[in-house]
Amino acid sequence: MDLTGGFGARSGGVGPCREPIGLESLHLGDEFRQLVTTLPPENAGGSFTALLELPPTQAVELLHFTDSSSSQVAAVTGIGGEIAPPLHSFGGTLAFPSNSVLMERAARFSVIATEQQNGNISGETPTSSVPSNSSANLDRVKTEPAETDSSQRLISDSAIENQIPSPSQNNRNGKRKDFEKKGKSSTKKNKSSEENEKLPYVHVRARRGQATDSHSLAERARREKINARMKLLQELVPGCDKIQGTALVLDEIINHVQSLQRQVEMLSMRLAAVNPRIDFNLDTILASENGSLMDGSFNGTPMQLAWPHQAIETEQSFHHRQLPPPPTQQWPFDGLNQPVWGREEDQADGNDNSNLMAVSENVMVASANLHPNQVKMEL
Amino acid sequence: MNTYNMVKQRFIKKWINTLHMLDSSIEHPLNVTERKNAIRLSSDLAIAAARSGSTVWSRALISRSGNKTTNKPMARRILKKARNRMKNRCRTLRRNGNFTAKVGVRKRTEFLKSLVPGGELIDDKDYLIRETLDYIVYLRAQVDVMRTVAAVDLVTGNVTNDRRNK
Repeated sequence: MDLTGGFGARSGGVGPCREPIGLESLHLGDEFRQLVTTLPPENAGGSFTALLELPPTQAVELLHFTDSSSSQVAAVTGIGGEIAPPLHSFGGTLAFPSNSVLMERAARFSVIATEQQNGNISGETPTSSVPSNSSANLDRVKTEPAETDSSQRLISDSAIENQIPSPSQNNRNGKRKDFEKKGKSSTKKNKSSEENEKLPYVHVRARRGQATDSHSLAERARREKINARMKLLQELVPGCDKIQGTALVLDEIINHVQSLQRQVEMLSMRLAAVNPRIDFNLDTILASENGSLMDGSFNGTPMQLAWPHQAIETEQSFHHRQLPPPPTQQWPFDGLNQPVWGREEDQADGNDNSNLMAVSENVMVASANLHPNQVKMEL
Repeated sequence: MNTYNMVKQRFIKKWINTLHMLDSSIEHPLNVTERKNAIRLSSDLAIAAARSGSTVWSRALISRSGNKTTNKPMARRILKKARNRMKNRCRTLRRNGNFTAKVGVRKRTEFLKSLVPGGELIDDKDYLIRETLDYIVYLRAQVDVMRTVAAVDLVTGNVTNDRRNK
């Protein structure tokens, strides 16, 4: 699809990694079917607090977040607790080849932070899967949830302290072995420095020829933390590795965030243009997509939907999909011509849109007045 | 071990909720801009809810858009929000024009603060970068999911237009 081409060089890192694209890769499960079918009665009140899965008092606090200064302080200290562990463990594991792996890792740490915060509300799979993994990176992640809040800064400081000499010598493209070795050695240091948990001091080793008084030590520790995290951001933002200097890196990051926000804006405009109703697109897509994902084989049952559709002679377009019984909504279909649709599918890219094609038949776009070429021009 | 996919899944779940919430609380606005703002609002709220509260940006997003979802005259608020967004965008464009490498880290961090929701509240550059990292992950998830959904709609749009032309 030429959609990704339109998004410019900034998202170039995202473009090539097409494997996870497509709803099939989102691994929707049982919960989605439940969610979709039982959704309208649940959200009759439109409860905001239910959305957040938080107790009402906390949710109300969130609503008044920017007003009170006390919550501001709480926010900042809260971050110190939750975000500190996962991102610190990021510090030592730098060179990763692919963008999707990066996103996974970044997401994993965000997820783990959320898990800690919510007391594993959203399921234990991230944290439970973490100990089962044997890579060096995840060893470090495993140590993090076990620690208390105040200790994490210490450990990560010493961990980052170990990492700093080496990255300057290694280039980012190759040396995975080195980084893994470093990860393992720093894991040991992690575990050995866990005894320092109780102490309120930052244990930082002064390098040769550097000042050793407390202020400069603390300052250096802080600077190195910031630099480590800037490197992380460099990794995350595509095309950022080759830039030296904090200002330019920040530039890249700013551009990246801006471009992502603009993309969201354009995508929401496109969705609004195509669909007559606001909530129409998502649950219909996911309802049918959910069925097709859960059972990959097509059993050839005639659609139970009340479609005035043509004869289903083009089995091949539905070969890998199963269309479930309809959700509660009534879909006003005119007969979508399946041979045409099958042809569309042949032109599309391999895996990403094949399931989307199955699903798109269920999405009611007959009332869309916008020509798709016009939509593409917007990009 | 696809935690990025899990992020996307959580986002989708929340997005369904927010779309329904919005749809039930506003009278159907026929304007494309209003619909766009509603969709944007709902998806921003969805990523913030998916992150669910331990980050500054998610809380700021929620407070920014939360009061809009609980009260009745949605359309007016959505329009107001659109106007604010336009103002912000003009400001950012102007600022971008002035940036050179000489300007330095300070101004860039201030600019980044203006981009990341709730960034103005963060004084420490350290925290700001952490927040940005987290925010980027969720923004990416938002963009990926919305692009996928939009691709579906685009394809179906192709089909219907072919039928019309026949």
